[in-house]
Amino acid sequence: MFHVIGRRSAPVTRLLASRGGVLVESVRGRKSRGDPVAKSKEGRIKVPPPVDPREMVVLKDRYTEYQLILKALRLEFREEVLRKKFEEETGSLAEERARQDAEEHRALMLWNQEENLRLLKARVLRVQKEEEEAERLKLEAVMKLEQQQQEFIKLKEKQVLQLQEEAKNFITMENLDQRIEEALDHPKNYNFAVDKEGRVVRKTVLQ
Amino acid sequence: MPRYELALILKAMQRPETAAALRRTVETLMERGAVVRNLENLGERLLPYKMSKHNQRHTRGSYFLVDFYAAPSILNELLDHLHRDVDVVRPTVLKKEEQVSTSICCGAPR
Repeated sequence: MFHVIGRRSAPVTRLLASRGGVLVESVRGRKSRGDPVAKSKEGRIKVPPPVDPREMVVLKDRYTEYQLILKALRLEFREEVLRKKFEEETGSLAEERARQDAEEHRALMLWNQEENLRLLKARVLRVQKEEEEAERLKLEAVMKLEQQQQEFIKLKEKQVLQLQEEAKNFITMENLDQRIEEALDHPKNYNFAVDKEGRVVRKTVLQ
Repeated sequence: MPRYELALILKAMQRPETAAALRRTVETLMERGAVVRNLENLGERLLPYKMSKHNQRHTRGSYFLVDFYAAPSILNELLDHLHRDVDVVRPTVLKKEEQVSTSICCGAPR
């Protein structure tokens, strides 16, 4: 009738369970609410268990004493734990440790600052050098461009001069006849023969 | 202006007629605004194959080379004109490239 359960599946009553009690449910057994009483239980009167008053008194005294002692012990232990925790957090040693931590932190921050300064200096120097380098390269590029342009101009001038020279030999209306006569008198031969040794022969038979 | 070369094959004729044909050609060129640079004669020789032009079969011809500077727009008309000329067997206009200075690159190493 009374089942010990772990999970609460039915309405549960705590019977005599002020401390660490096992939860017992008052589950109606096989019979439900409206079922009639069994024949064998007809005249049954529920009687609480008999109690001997003198025994009860003695027992009650002993129980109170016992419970007192146990409660005291428990409180003692709890207090010890709390004290330890408190000491851990805010005791003198803790203060000392906190102070040391703060000190260390400060020292490290200082060191970090110095490192930053050092790196900053290095970076500034490096950046400056790079800028200078870039400037130099740019200037060089400009110079090179200039130079190339100059060279180009020179080349073109040379070509123009050469063309002017050659222009003296061009054919115009005046020397047309003369040139034609000249060309007809001097036939030009571009044919030649070469062998593997590189000997060149220009005299060929014109058919 | 770009530079062209006219490789002209004229009919095998007597000297005065050849001279006249050449003069005619060069004058045509100059009329169209070309600047004639040089005129070369490669001789009168046997043609590589028999060519028929203007209802005549040619076996021999005289080769001439004319370099000139001209605008590209005149070439079509020029070629038309030369094709119509009876004394001209074959006119060919070629473009002359700028001579890149080739050093001793292609020769066989000794």
